[in-house]
Amino acid sequence: MRAARIVLVVVGVLVIAFGAYVLVTTVRPNRIWGLATWLLGAVILHDAILSPFVVGVGLLLRRTGRTLRAWALVVVQAVVVLGSVLALVVLPEIAAKAHGQKNPTVLPFDYGARLLLVEGVLLLVVVAVLVVAARRPARVRASTG
Amino acid sequence: MVRGLLLDARSAMASPNRNARTAVVLGRLLGVAFLVCFATGVYSYFLQQPLPWMRFPTRPAQLYQFTQGVHITAGIAIIPLLLAKLNTVMPALVQTPPVRGPLHLLERLSIAVFVASAIVQVTTGLLNTYQWYPWPFPFKQVHNALAYVLIGSLVLHIGVKLRLISRYWRKRDSYDEHGRFVVDPAAGSELLSPSQEARVDPATSAPAPQAVASYPRGITGRVLRWVDGVPAVPAEPAVPAVPADAAETRPGGPDSASATRAASAEPSLGMPQAGAAEASRASRATPDATDGRRERIARRGFFAGVTAATVGVVALTAGQSSTLAEPFNVFGARQRHRGPNDLPVNRTARAAGVLATATAADWSLTVVGHDVVRTFSRAELVALGTAEAELPISCVEGWSQMATWKGVRMRDLLGAVQAAPGSHVRVTSLERHGGYRIMDMGPEYAEDPTTLVALELNGATLDLDHGFPARIIAPGRPGVLQTKWIEKIEVIA
Repeated sequence: MRAARIVLVVVGVLVIAFGAYVLVTTVRPNRIWGLATWLLGAVILHDAILSPFVVGVGLLLRRTGRTLRAWALVVVQAVVVLGSVLALVVLPEIAAKAHGQKNPTVLPFDYGARLLLVEGVLLLVVVAVLVVAARRPARVRASTG
Repeated sequence: MVRGLLLDARSAMASPNRNARTAVVLGRLLGVAFLVCFATGVYSYFLQQPLPWMRFPTRPAQLYQFTQGVHITAGIAIIPLLLAKLNTVMPALVQTPPVRGPLHLLERLSIAVFVASAIVQVTTGLLNTYQWYPWPFPFKQVHNALAYVLIGSLVLHIGVKLRLISRYWRKRDSYDEHGRFVVDPAAGSELLSPSQEARVDPATSAPAPQAVASYPRGITGRVLRWVDGVPAVPAEPAVPAVPADAAETRPGGPDSASATRAASAEPSLGMPQAGAAEASRASRATPDATDGRRERIARRGFFAGVTAATVGVVALTAGQSSTLAEPFNVFGARQRHRGPNDLPVNRTARAAGVLATATAADWSLTVVGHDVVRTFSRAELVALGTAEAELPISCVEGWSQMATWKGVRMRDLLGAVQAAPGSHVRVTSLERHGGYRIMDMGPEYAEDPTTLVALELNGATLDLDHGFPARIIAPGRPGVLQTKWIEKIEVIA
């Protein structure tokens, strides 16, 4: 274990160093500063903005979840995650298209309308699940007398 | 003060999903995805910038279509996996004390490098498929250099965490018979919640596994109680907690109430003993089993979300590079069969600045051998005899499409200038600028019977945007090397 760890750490550091070498030999210094701001920005964006937001949403889901049946909450949660990731991937695509296509075969679709449609379908799924989950206990009660 | 804030943050983040086992499971998937992207990326890099001794396979002709399609698809799959992994290890971000020593500081810095390069690599890679470059650095060079930083950080991270990874590698070592996460203080996990830490701390450890005081003091504690519906004053063990009360009013009974709370996305901080006891009495389960069930359902809910997001985002975009996913191509950056000659275009004739030169009546192709130089008009090229080939256009940006090409075999043209077998070839385009104006081709491609100077595409004359009057098409190479609007072919070695 100890030997394996040492080998992995040494190899890892060497590969990082090689990456840094490739960077300084192929990218001009002022551009490397530009990259540095993006790297720093990525950490700040994730640690200071995205993480607290996710914790907040998680706590809200946890509070909502108290009154929801297990299967319903699992479905709702999966749909929320899917909807968020799709938005994360497609919103930049919409921005890219607004910024200008190089030719009509690049980004050929109306991504805004498509995203709205897909998110709408996902919203319908959430509503359907909530309705079914709210009704089902009533039906159980009726059938058992 | 700072320590209090960090502890509060950790309490708020505590969840059955944020444990070392989840981190290992997601880390494995993410590690595989990173390695796949790295291997296919390095292959693509050397295809474009080969070392002098390198030769590449020309069969199967769809090899690059496959490797680059996998590169982009795995890269897109990394987005939800990376978010899930970062979400899982979030408590480590606010660990107390923040730094335990010089080595620990180095480790945290290496994690920062890892996370930063992963986020930037995936973000810029995704935007590159949209052909949008809103950053102050060159994409190709940085993508290449960051790939090594990223893979090095991955190897380093595995080395640092190896003990923890092997401790929680197998499911049966990670969860007890009830399905509860096994806290192992010797493994050195940084994801333990304050209440878990209190439990394993020998100084404060009590025989009872679930301390009643699992909520922090102050505002955080109040918020968490509100979230879990627990009275502000810790309930006496005999008094049923609110959820159990609520459950009794519902036909599903107490059992469904415990299942309900169990499923919540981040339910974790100890459910009060009273509620657990109440629920478990009805379902004839021990508190341990109830806890285990609660944790298990929460974990399944989490992985259901990660799976849905990964499958969803891949399925709705992979249609640009896979026939299989073509019917679901909702968000792909390209659509197959859309474009002139039934094929998408990357660089138009206008963008390349060849509108006049490529349509000039006196266009001719110059073929330069060691001793012989010949020029061919389009009609003279046709007279040499044409061949047909089914070859894909496979873009580095991930989209690809099979097409039918008709033109003169490269080896016939080289024969016409008496080039020696095994010759390297340099092709020059009419383009006035651009990184791919000049393209070198190794003998494995130049001699391949399917490598064509193409004149027709999908049954019609080559469109101006597809490289009229003549372009290169070779098996297994990136689209940027399938040079369009060619004017000269030289034998260089």
